[in-house]
Amino acid sequence: MNSIIDVIMKRRSIRHYQQEDIPKDLLLELVKAATWAPSGSNMQPWYFIIVNDKKVLNKIISFSPGLLGNPPNVIVICSDKKKAFEKGGKLGRDELSLMDISMAAENLMLLATEKGLGTCAVKSFNGKTIQKILELPDYVSPDLIISIGYPMKEAKPPKRKTVEEVSFENKWGGRI
Amino acid sequence: MNEQDIIKVFSYIATSARGCIDEPKIYGPFRLVEIISKLFWLLKSNNLIANDKLSRIIDKIDEKKYVCVKDEKKFIGLLDEVIDDLFELVD
Repeated sequence: MNSIIDVIMKRRSIRHYQQEDIPKDLLLELVKAATWAPSGSNMQPWYFIIVNDKKVLNKIISFSPGLLGNPPNVIVICSDKKKAFEKGGKLGRDELSLMDISMAAENLMLLATEKGLGTCAVKSFNGKTIQKILELPDYVSPDLIISIGYPMKEAKPPKRKTVEEVSFENKWGGRI
Repeated sequence: MNEQDIIKVFSYIATSARGCIDEPKIYGPFRLVEIISKLFWLLKSNNLIANDKLSRIIDKIDEKKYVCVKDEKKFIGLLDEVIDDLFELVD
């Protein structure tokens, strides 16, 4: 089994996919990992729409310029804004719900990496159109699309800022 | 090529245009070269275009376009190269 840091460092944003469909059981395992993410006030505002119907997928791709490389499957992570507001007020609806689904997305993508799958988190899509395609109620917002598939090729790691560049001790500018 | 293929390209372009209002500035140029690639492959798969030099330009775009989020200078260099390459093909 890979250690968590190995998986974290192995994950890449994949934009070239093989066309092999991912079994539904495996996609559901990824969703399970996502549902164990931290959630403000334990709100769990998330819903996960697994898309494996090619007609629906092609419609989504047509209105999602950021969804690249013809993934065989996507999972659309949505948040229930009504529930988020009822439990968390304005902060819950506008901020916590987005943080929750972001942490859920990372869990999902890390487990996918461990399973040999590639993923890419995509925000460049037309939300209103995706809402129509997936027949979402108006209080459920499609917040993030995760493309999923077996990678066509390995992606090179992008440059990362060093720990020293992004860390301070005790105060802004405090040397580590 | 059928009407649906064209409608999908138009949907991509319109959605990109709307996205460009709010998205990072560099996404605009990226979407435009992505559209070049999409149109090329659509025309090629319908045997409406067969130009080896153009094909090589598209291969270059497809291979290097993702550098836009990693290295903006390299992406600008790619755009300049593509323009030069296309210039050579225009009568």
